[in-house]
Amino acid sequence: MFEEKLKEFEPVFYPKSIAVIGVSATSLKAGSAWFWSLRSAGFPGPIYPVGISGGRIGEFQIFPNLRLIPGDIDYVIVSTPRQSVLELLDDCAAKNVKVVQFFTAGFSELNAHDGRKLEEQMLEKARRSNIRIIGPNCIGVYCPEYKFSFLMGLLGESGPVGFVSQSGGIATKVVTIGMNRHIRYSKVISFGNGIDLNASDFLQYLAADPKTKAIGAYLEGTRDGARLLNTMKAVAKIKPLVVWKGGRTEAGAQAALSHTGSLATSAAIWSAMLRQAGAIEVHNLEELTDTLLIFQQLKHWRGVNAAIIGGLADGGGGNSVAAGDACMENGLKVPLLTPETRQQLAKLVGDVGNILCNPVDVSQAQFRGLPTLFQAIELIVRDTIVDVVLIQEDVDILLPIYSQKGLEEINQFFIELGKKQHKPIIVVLPPGSAEPQRLQIEQQLLAGNIPVFSSMERAAKALQKFNQHFNQQESK
Amino acid sequence: MIKGQKLLTEVESKELLKKAGIPVVETKLARTKQEAIAISKEMGFPVALKISSPDVVHKSDAGGVKLGLSSAAQVGKAYSEIISSIEKAYPEAEIQGVSVQRMAEPGVEMILGMSKDPQFGPVLMFGLGGVLVEVLKDVSFRIVPVTERDAREMIREIKGYPILEGYRGKKPVSIPALEQLIVKLSRFVEENPQIKELDLNPVFAYPDKALAVDARIVLE
Repeated sequence: MFEEKLKEFEPVFYPKSIAVIGVSATSLKAGSAWFWSLRSAGFPGPIYPVGISGGRIGEFQIFPNLRLIPGDIDYVIVSTPRQSVLELLDDCAAKNVKVVQFFTAGFSELNAHDGRKLEEQMLEKARRSNIRIIGPNCIGVYCPEYKFSFLMGLLGESGPVGFVSQSGGIATKVVTIGMNRHIRYSKVISFGNGIDLNASDFLQYLAADPKTKAIGAYLEGTRDGARLLNTMKAVAKIKPLVVWKGGRTEAGAQAALSHTGSLATSAAIWSAMLRQAGAIEVHNLEELTDTLLIFQQLKHWRGVNAAIIGGLADGGGGNSVAAGDACMENGLKVPLLTPETRQQLAKLVGDVGNILCNPVDVSQAQFRGLPTLFQAIELIVRDTIVDVVLIQEDVDILLPIYSQKGLEEINQFFIELGKKQHKPIIVVLPPGSAEPQRLQIEQQLLAGNIPVFSSMERAAKALQKFNQHFNQQESK
Repeated sequence: MIKGQKLLTEVESKELLKKAGIPVVETKLARTKQEAIAISKEMGFPVALKISSPDVVHKSDAGGVKLGLSSAAQVGKAYSEIISSIEKAYPEAEIQGVSVQRMAEPGVEMILGMSKDPQFGPVLMFGLGGVLVEVLKDVSFRIVPVTERDAREMIREIKGYPILEGYRGKKPVSIPALEQLIVKLSRFVEENPQIKELDLNPVFAYPDKALAVDARIVLE
């Protein structure tokens, strides 16, 4: 479904050339920043700076007018004031421009009547010349595979997660969090007021895009609710769709209105709409990125039976209890391990000071060396009742016992174990006093494709959302 | 539909709903005391009488509702009382008469309504009636068109769902009948975009059926 979108959106994500309007030789204008950003990201095609006063930016000539650029232009970024936008669209038509992205703000989000009128005039002009508009009031497109970035030249790794956002700030945050947590994006789009291309269009594209395996969205409102619902229904059947609706409270809704000109609808109705669509609702940036990380990392996993390894050394008791609660409260089950596994564990680590039910505490393995610890963990992972393994790794407790080097070895073991069998292994690294070491370990694990969370609650919640997707799609 | 009128009366609302296949308690308009008594006898006692006027929104507050009337004499007396209290409370109101309906057997009290959302259009709301909807706001929503699957989910989504499944030895109510009611109401709303608001309050749910006891439709 939506295959026709791939061709249609080629100039949106893979433009052959870009012109940036609003570049100045003398002052530091937004247009100049856009120009340098695209250059430093390494955009593969020509980037033309355009500014009314001409001159040079670095070694590059600034064109006083779009029409003076030789040849056609695929994609234009506009950051000049809104008074000039209609004239600009005529220039774009003359140059066979396919996509115009307006960074320029001050439309319907600022003034409902006049702003809306100007938006309608822009749309009419664009339609006549087959130009697609992204925005206004947006930062547009991030396509790391093509080195096309809205992020001041920053480029993360390319990967399987697509993201659509009404807000540029949230789009930016999602990308930068992704860089740290190894969430890799295929495409990220911020579409602002969305007068032409909007959430529905981009969701349809991402559903068809072979590079995208899971889709996230941040939305504040919609101008065509019926189309959005129908689109989401179709998209969620093809790929997991995780949606965060901003503006759920009165204060939030008022901010959304002046942010992207969205109308207010009660949070309960949005939640109902998302359930009806088969989408997965999340309520904040943490839940959103946690869930996207899980969808990126887990592939064919099914099931709710978790084995929790609460203690790799001392301090596992209370943490195991709390971890069990966190899992049960978030839709996972923590079943007793099979008698065979428990027998073998008892033989391996002894049953004094260990809890060999589930959550499992294998603290005593520390006195028998790492190979024993590894054997114990492998026994748990291979237990037939277990679908997913959650390991609590408290760096503050473990560092003095195993040293940084020992911990690295333990994590390397998790990474190898994750590769050689199909059950997901998830590590929880609770923050404490040894932050630099904890962050280092987090990077080691994430680079090795082990999902890492800062609390058992967050891990369990993300797993619950993952399960929810498959349950919803199966019951349809 | 009736043109140039915003609030439909209960009799008008129920007629439209009945035509759409939505089960309602049969309700007839009596223009005189004699008619009210004749209709009551035909329907069988006990009956309920309610003022019928497009101008009276809060019928019971103004003394426009009399329930559980079990004889012709009681009906006659109730008719006069309703007319005189409404004339006092709403001197300007256009009074068509009173609606007469047989008292429905007690069932589990539910509410089903429709309102229009600025972004998504018609939205159905479902919940347990009475104090539960007022205080606990235990309701679920779905956007029209509501499929059978959506209806199934919206019924199960309310916290009070176990009440529908039967408790303390009570028989469970018919969930399929509620599902059908929701789906039919969704279709009705879809086919009549001029409806601005609609309330079936209460709907009585029984082990074998669901029945709209009162209905109110407001047009755009």
